[in-house]
Amino acid sequence: MNRRELLGGLGVASASTLLWALGCSGTQKPTSVVAEAVADRDSVRTWLREAVSRLRAVFPTVHALAVERLRSTAASDVLGTGLAHARRDGVVLVVRDEAGLWREQVSSDLTRQGVANAVRALVGTSRKTVSIDFGPVPPASEVPRSFTDGELRNRVEAITRKRVDSRVVYGVSLLDIEDTWVFSIAPGRDLEHRARRVRQSVIRAAWNGPRPVVGSVERGWVGKLVDPRALGESDAERATEFALEMMTPAPFPDGRHTVLLDPSVTASLVDAGVRALLTTAAARRPEVQRGIAIGGTVASPLLTVIDDPTTRGSYGSFTFDDEGELAAPLTLIDKGRLTGVLGDRVGGGRGRGLRAGHVGAVEPSPSHLRVVAGPTPHGDLRDDGFLIEGALGAIVDPGTTRVVIAAARARVIKGGKPTGHVFPDVELVGDLGLLFGSVTGVSSDSERFDLRDERDGEPRWRSVEAPWLRIPLGDAKQPGVVRARQQAGLK
Amino acid sequence: MITRRDLVRAVSRERRVADWVVSERVQELAIVDELRGLVRRETRTRLGLVLHVDSALGRGTARVAIDATEGTASTVVLRALSLATAAVGPTWKSVPPAAPARVDVIDPALVKTNLEEAAHAIVKFNRDGATVRSRGTVLREQVEIQAKSGFREAWAASELRVDALVIAGERSLELVREARKLGDLIDAQRSDSMPQAVTTALTDLRSLESAGATPRATGSDELDLVLATDAMLHGDGLGVWNVFAVQADAALERQGLTRYRIGAPIVPGATQVAEPLTISSDGAIDHALRSAPVGEEGDAIRKFVLVDRGVSAGLALTMREAALRGRDPNGGIRNLVIGPGLWDGAPVRRTIEIRRLRALSIDRYTGNASLEIALAFDDGKAFTGGTVRLDLIAALSRARRKVADKQQVLRRGAYIGPPAVLIERVELLS
Repeated sequence: MNRRELLGGLGVASASTLLWALGCSGTQKPTSVVAEAVADRDSVRTWLREAVSRLRAVFPTVHALAVERLRSTAASDVLGTGLAHARRDGVVLVVRDEAGLWREQVSSDLTRQGVANAVRALVGTSRKTVSIDFGPVPPASEVPRSFTDGELRNRVEAITRKRVDSRVVYGVSLLDIEDTWVFSIAPGRDLEHRARRVRQSVIRAAWNGPRPVVGSVERGWVGKLVDPRALGESDAERATEFALEMMTPAPFPDGRHTVLLDPSVTASLVDAGVRALLTTAAARRPEVQRGIAIGGTVASPLLTVIDDPTTRGSYGSFTFDDEGELAAPLTLIDKGRLTGVLGDRVGGGRGRGLRAGHVGAVEPSPSHLRVVAGPTPHGDLRDDGFLIEGALGAIVDPGTTRVVIAAARARVIKGGKPTGHVFPDVELVGDLGLLFGSVTGVSSDSERFDLRDERDGEPRWRSVEAPWLRIPLGDAKQPGVVRARQQAGLK
Repeated sequence: MITRRDLVRAVSRERRVADWVVSERVQELAIVDELRGLVRRETRTRLGLVLHVDSALGRGTARVAIDATEGTASTVVLRALSLATAAVGPTWKSVPPAAPARVDVIDPALVKTNLEEAAHAIVKFNRDGATVRSRGTVLREQVEIQAKSGFREAWAASELRVDALVIAGERSLELVREARKLGDLIDAQRSDSMPQAVTTALTDLRSLESAGATPRATGSDELDLVLATDAMLHGDGLGVWNVFAVQADAALERQGLTRYRIGAPIVPGATQVAEPLTISSDGAIDHALRSAPVGEEGDAIRKFVLVDRGVSAGLALTMREAALRGRDPNGGIRNLVIGPGLWDGAPVRRTIEIRRLRALSIDRYTGNASLEIALAFDDGKAFTGGTVRLDLIAALSRARRKVADKQQVLRRGAYIGPPAVLIERVELLS
């Protein structure tokens, strides 16, 4: 069986995150240093300041954003390691004319001429400039430590060196490093920030009857290459356990059970719900606007949700958003009451105007969502019912707030303890508001999940910190049902 | 700044390289966003390098995407060489280049036009008084592919997209349409243009105002299902038909992860139904969304049959897959053409017509699908909510396909085929 093909067939990775690790016998090349950032800090700042000066002579509102992005990815399986590097630069010039129309000029050419061409596209032949006080030049950001291909290879192979259980069909470990260097310049504001985002995952696949089952553990952080969150052999063992877990063959008893959502399911629910309903973009829909009123009750009083980009080391953190607003926490739900929505400038909000890859179209987005922990350890929240584990994705329909969350497993809980029965592939279906409103327990322990997806080929980073949530689906509100995902049968 | 010429020169100098393909896309993009009061212009150059290195152990391949304009072509090539050498797999030989498909993929009206004006035109279509907020995107690009064999092909392409929010009263619906030609999107006479889509959306919004709850769940013997166009093509434009694109993946087929093998019926009994299913991939249809003269690796794009009267007939063959099988590449899955049907639209038993979906999820291994209903009709009464579970491959293999009005098939994006299908005997979950 070809490993690359199996990876593609398992759908465990996108082309942008997983390399085809094809073989192990190629000659080891001398290690080389991963390319350093090429742009000179002072040069980029000079180009952008000149651009803003010329644009300000024509337009009342001006902002310039530049980014240099380096990405290194390594994947390793039992037969070999593959490496890939990619670089993406960009400059985004944003102006607002006196009629209130916003205009953006975007270029991948981060050079003096490239920036000048972008300016010319906005101002035409005008050579006027105005003198602007940009404020002090910020101190230089710490440059992330460089690393060699050899070091990258060693880090990713460290997990796969241990012998894998023979029942595992395929195993791979991944290491994804993205260095970004962002400049944001506007009248009265000169900001600069460098960040290294690291994401590590280990995947194991095994056959469970007619289909493969994938177990995975993934973590991310912002900071150095080495971090306490880095994966180790115990994480690889956990992924193997997930893939090999014996499942109960009996059909799942669909119904309104009491469920305890593990942090991954809670995170999936909160992330999907916030993005679908709690942004100024979502509020363009009359159904969403009607249901979302600041000050109104939208969840159980046990729930508080905060979006906090200042959370140190979190994958979704930032120092300033892509509209130049400094990072600040924003409470979205405070003890069940709606207190804020995520907004960008064009949508009438501030502080959450984020661009995919720092160059895409701006849209209001979460950064690091945190569901405030409760008072009770999750073990004490178990009631007769099911523990829902291993989120596979959530879909929220903004028009009706109906939500479907797919999960890998449902464990039977009786008398506060797991019975050992585990059902695969379940989904929780219900109304998002009623589900959040029916929460009767929030655990004191939480876990963090780091998410990376892409929009138009550009990355978006965010993270969610979530506890266990207990929801009795059979209560008076009947907020939802949990049922098997597999087909009901076509007769 | 790295140019395509620099890259070609640098890779040509490397004797270790057995084969290479360099691609360049020079793109201009204009977006007009009514919702945000924004106009966005973007220029970008994307270079791609695919490089193969042969050794005694096999062939290694590296694919490098270059967006940046700093650095040198030599550095990029050396790095790609290093990657390819470290990623060696089974031996295969590059297939000699074949003639590019003769296909037009640029709207003549967009060859020299100001893209911002074109983007304005596609958001200012005739709305007949409806409240619509839209975002129009127009892309024009010049593509050039060059290979070691001497093969070289250049062409211009256009892509247009409209994302619209249609609002009526307290409800709204999101629409997306993609095309290569301006007229396909804004000409009100065309059946699938934006003005027509808005009219349909307004009708559906009025139905949603009076929609009831999901009817009682039924045993599967009682109910037939009609998937109307928007439900059938939900999501990326191919909707439920995506299940066959996945099953035609040559890599999946080789490792035994597909439901059927070449030459076998796609499900038992698929050849004995009244309207056996035929599906083909055609990347040479003028101005269709997934048409192109050649693939990203200079591979030929050819029309091929995926399913022929209920029997699996073809796979999507990249250069590598084709070489390993001793066949010619066909450029992979492109526009899907679904064979015509004979169903006149008349119901046989109790029939639920699904007009719109909230969500469609398809299990890529089994073909099982879950369809979340946004708007459907049961005996003329509108309802919202509910889930249908289908073995999509079995369901579509036996489905009756609607005869298109005036003998013209529906053409939307990368889909060409009947406007609706009837699936007999399904189960509806509340």
